Parts: sequence; structure tokens; C-alpha cells
Amino acid sequence: MGKVIVITSGKGGVGKSTSVANIGTALAMLGKSVVVVDADIGLRNLDIIMGLESRVVYNSMDVIDGSCELEKALVTDRRVENLKLLAASQRNNKTDVQPEQMKDVCLKLRETHDYVLIDSPAGIEQGFENASSAAEAALIVTTPDVSAVRDADRIIGLLQAKEVSDLQLIINRFAPNMVKKGDMLNQYDVLDVLSIKLIGIVPEDPSIVGSSNRGLPLIYDATSEAAGAYKRIARRLDGQDVPVPEFKAIGWFSNMFGKLFGLD
Amino acid sequence: MLQRLIRFLRREEPSSKIASNRLKLILVQDRLGVNEEVMKDLQQEITQVLSRYFTLDKNQVEIDLQREDQAMALVANIPIRGMKGRD
Repeated sequence: MGKVIVITSGKGGVGKSTSVANIGTALAMLGKSVVVVDADIGLRNLDIIMGLESRVVYNSMDVIDGSCELEKALVTDRRVENLKLLAASQRNNKTDVQPEQMKDVCLKLRETHDYVLIDSPAGIEQGFENASSAAEAALIVTTPDVSAVRDADRIIGLLQAKEVSDLQLIINRFAPNMVKKGDMLNQYDVLDVLSIKLIGIVPEDPSIVGSSNRGLPLIYDATSEAAGAYKRIARRLDGQDVPVPEFKAIGWFSNMFGKLFGLD
Repeated sequence: MLQRLIRFLRREEPSSKIASNRLKLILVQDRLGVNEEVMKDLQQEITQVLSRYFTLDKNQVEIDLQREDQAMALVANIPIRGMKGRD
């Protein structure tokens, strides 16, 4: 019996789908059997981030209305075979699915997989209700800015009201240089107000753009700091004790030194 | 570096500090579901009640919600000029 985890944020554009793709892949690379579920019905994009869009034939809607068996609707990843995707319907609307129906699908997936990761849509409406209906744990993604943290707080409140008590925070797009200059909230400011457990800090990484251009999760880029952060998050999620490193600001001197000698 | 020096010389607060303070206040208000109007009404009523007993400078009364660790507190700063004679 596996675990159903919803990845959510309230605010859009903070990196939910990217986090699902990378944590899902990292868990699969640890040898776990993983299904990632795109719960953003009507606006699907997890398939694109994972480079699986051409393989999607069926989606969760087909499973719910009975036109396709669950196993058959799962798309196998191109690189890791124990990683599957259940795509969202692009033609339907969020209100076409009821939380109970989504819950049934997720609980069935849990029987045969170690991890069921659900990519929640932004917002607090029915899409979020569907995505969180089967969740026993949640990863809340935020960026270090006032509006994203406020929305994260709201989502935390809603999840607690649903009695999802295993809540952990991912701080995404963290820029140590900006924190050092005093232009960005640091992790302590964020944790102080949200008061849930931190599972990881993902540093800002421009290569994320190229990664979704290619449909290849960042995790395959061995030089990326963000990839390293996602791998650590996956191990923590899997119960390993991995410390969160301090991200150091790069000074102008080491930056220049790095560029000169290609250490970057 | 230079930026920080300029900021220091101008005694400017870093924007992260401002963000942190705004966030704390916003979340206190969100969680309790109070807005500025409620706070204003509250301040007016408290001032009214207290002025039956004390002479107050009504413009100096400050009532704020604050957050300390997990608890929230209503913090009031009410300067008193004197006691009102009761008869």
C-alpha cells in the first residue's frame, strides 16, 4: 500500500508541476513505483513538462466515466519505467469531476504503487478539492514572496480543516544572492509565519526553462543545484534523514573566478 | 556591496524586512478574518468605554493585532491623562 501526496500552493506559477515532475522522477530513480496524476483538468501540462505529451491516449476522465481501465490509461515514462503519468483531460472542466471520483482513482492507484503524487491546480476551488480528496499528506510549494506565502497559509488552513495533518513546505526559486542583499525573504522569515515543517529549499535555476522546453525534467542535469535539491527532497519524502544545506550567496569575486576557470 | 552602502547611508530598510513585517500582519488579519474597518470600530468602542473612566488623548490610542510565536495578541497602547471624577 502506497501513499497519496498532493502537491499544492494556492498561487499559480510557483512551480507545482515542475516539483511534481522532478520529485516523481527522483523517487522512481530511487527504485520506487510512482504515479504522477495531473489534476489540473482543462489546463493540463504535466505531460509536457515530462515530455510525454505524444504518448497520452487516455486520461483520468476516461477512467472516471468508465471508457478506459485505470492501468491502460497510465503512460509509462520514457526513461524510468517505474514512473507513470495519469494525464488530465484537456476538453473537460474542473467541475466535471467530483472529489469522490478523484479519490476513488487515487486510492486504486495507491494499491499498486509506492507513491501517488497529485499535481493540484492553482486556486482553492473545486480543482483543489478534487486534487486533495485522497491525500494523506501534502507538499506545499511557495516562493519567498509575500503573495505566495499568504496563499500558502490559506491552503495550509484548508488542508488542516480537511484533517490532512502531514504538511511539509518546499521553498522554490530561492535566490541566496538576493537574500544576502536584503531583497528577498529568507527561509526563516517564511518558516516563522507558516509554521509547518520544511522539506526542502530549491534554489532559483535558469536552466528550468530549457528543461521544460525539452520536456526533460531538470533532475537529469547533474550540474544543476535545483536538481540536487529535488533529489534530496525525494529522499526525505522517502524517510531518509538528509540535512538541508545552507545556500551560499556567490560573491562577485568567486563568480568571476568561476567564470574564468569554468567552475560554474 | 555599493547598494548596501547606499542603503546604509540613507538608513533605508531592506525590502525583505518590510516584506516580513507586512506578511506577519497580513496573516494575522487573514487568520482572524478581521479587516481595517473592524479594527477601527473596535478602537472607537474601546476608546468610548475607557473615556468614561479616564481622560484620554483619543488621537494617541493605538490598538493592533500582533503575532507572537503561535499565539495572537491584541496589543493596545492607550496614554492616560488623568482619572475622571465620578459622582
